[in-house]
Amino acid sequence: MKPLQLIVCAKQVPDPEGPADALRVDTESKKVIPIGIPPVINPFDENALEAALRIKNQIGAKVTVLSLGEKLSQPVLRKALAAGADELVLLMDQHFKELDSFSTAYVLSRMIKKIETYDLVLTGRQAGDWDFGVTGMLIAEMLKIPVINLAKKVEIKDGSVFVEKLCDGGYEVVRADMPALVTVSGESGELRYISIRSLQASTKIPVRIFSAADLGLDHERLTQRTICNLFAFQGERQCKFAEGESAQDKAENLVTLMKEDGIMRKIEKKGD
Amino acid sequence: MVVLVEREGLAIAPISFELLGIAKQIATDLGVVLCAVAIGHEVADISDQVSSFVDEVYSIDHPQLKSFNSETYIHVLEQLYQKVNPGVILMGCTLDNLDLAPRLAYRMGVQVITDCVQLAVEPETGYLLCTKPVYGAKVSSVFKLVKKPYMITLRPKAVQAVDLGSAKGKVIQFDPIIDESLVKVRTVEKIKEETVSLNRAEAIVAGGRGVRDAEGIEQLKELVKALKKYFGKVELGASRPLVDAHLVPSSRQIGLTGEKVAPELYIAVGISGSLQHLTGILGAKKIIAINTDTKANIFKVADYGVIGSFEEVVPALKRRLEKLE
Repeated sequence: MKPLQLIVCAKQVPDPEGPADALRVDTESKKVIPIGIPPVINPFDENALEAALRIKNQIGAKVTVLSLGEKLSQPVLRKALAAGADELVLLMDQHFKELDSFSTAYVLSRMIKKIETYDLVLTGRQAGDWDFGVTGMLIAEMLKIPVINLAKKVEIKDGSVFVEKLCDGGYEVVRADMPALVTVSGESGELRYISIRSLQASTKIPVRIFSAADLGLDHERLTQRTICNLFAFQGERQCKFAEGESAQDKAENLVTLMKEDGIMRKIEKKGD
Repeated sequence: MVVLVEREGLAIAPISFELLGIAKQIATDLGVVLCAVAIGHEVADISDQVSSFVDEVYSIDHPQLKSFNSETYIHVLEQLYQKVNPGVILMGCTLDNLDLAPRLAYRMGVQVITDCVQLAVEPETGYLLCTKPVYGAKVSSVFKLVKKPYMITLRPKAVQAVDLGSAKGKVIQFDPIIDESLVKVRTVEKIKEETVSLNRAEAIVAGGRGVRDAEGIEQLKELVKALKKYFGKVELGASRPLVDAHLVPSSRQIGLTGEKVAPELYIAVGISGSLQHLTGILGAKKIIAINTDTKANIFKVADYGVIGSFEEVVPALKRRLEKLE
């Protein structure tokens, strides 16, 4: 029997765990420029990769990781190989700059079709930069395969995929025939620890690179995200500090500040 | 313009009152008819209630629509929208709609903007402007929707909820064709877990890396208890490090990788304020930060700050709140 073929879509994003002042907003060009924070694999896509690797460890599978972008960092994405993926495919082209969700899904689905035999596609539930959370669904629509969103656990049994899927008030166990697509949520688990040794070993695995031409893409279907305005979030507030010698004094002063602000007014109303 | 009414069982979900409020403004500014869609089983009451606020309600009532199934719902809504041909389709950014919205948009060939926090009509052009926070809390993006139709999902608690009033409007029954063979994803079982509705809490006490251990969590729980005297619903929350350390269940995680919340009061304890956390608390009315690090980013978004170790400040605050008259 052929081994299971798993495909993981992983996006390169500026580290969402980075400090809030690490992103500069260029309102003119409508671009966000990361300063001093390295790109990483989107954390949710790392969750998807981990879910794939767990399947590989349990029942055996070939794991192929796809990443799409105008410029991609091999050292960043090779982390997927170091973690245990078998193959890394980079879809890199100047035409892949700032693609909107539909175009992104279009390119990825074309690549997946090129792979032909696949059993399961895994993506993160959303990306840490533009946060749309639609690409996985769109890929599945384009491939015309079943899709399960927001997985906290993914298992393969008897040729079907079983997923614990988040829903309001708990979760649902659902089943679909394969091939299928599953988007993975943070609850599924973080990517495993990667040793320096496996990181070094991963540099020996060749990386395949495809351009728009290699995929025979229709350029008219590659459209950029159109933003009419982009500005640094105006959420900064003027922080008043509750001073004091002791913690008691500080707490006292904090409550006074809260009272003055009306936070306590609400509280007093309730307390009556 | 069509609004999808969200429901909880047989009741209207809170987000619906927010959706309807903003939709009415937009429909008025655009000069278009405002329709609502109630989909499910035994949704007559919901349709009646909503009809008092909108021009028309499409009521789609069928036993097989009792609980959400994305394939069935997509198929049914596609049928309705083909008939109604709406220019704008608005729905809540809920777990179910994270599945439904992009797929329905794709099938209808329309654009989709998810997780918006503000909608407005540009006066000069009549185009719809959607504001969506991106890159964690750092950036706001505005999408101008030029090519109709489009689909928008609205973040809960982002806009004011409205009262529906008591007028009686027009309810139109819509009979869908339901094709069982379209259902490719089957539910095996449903499991109820401790439900934490962080997004409905009036006050939240959230801990971060600085809280460190189970003992620290206990102190936060004490503060939660003290606040319950004053707020209707108070919950414990956490940023990612405490969830990763299994000190707090993931259902209580706040941020990009968790719940996005909008309480009256948010108390951030030992939270440094990473981008991905800040995006989850944008909607909080008042933010209080307690941290030892004077340079912590959290102070930049806080209304009030206390510099000090939480082990001392949190119990002191708790005691002060307990004896407050």
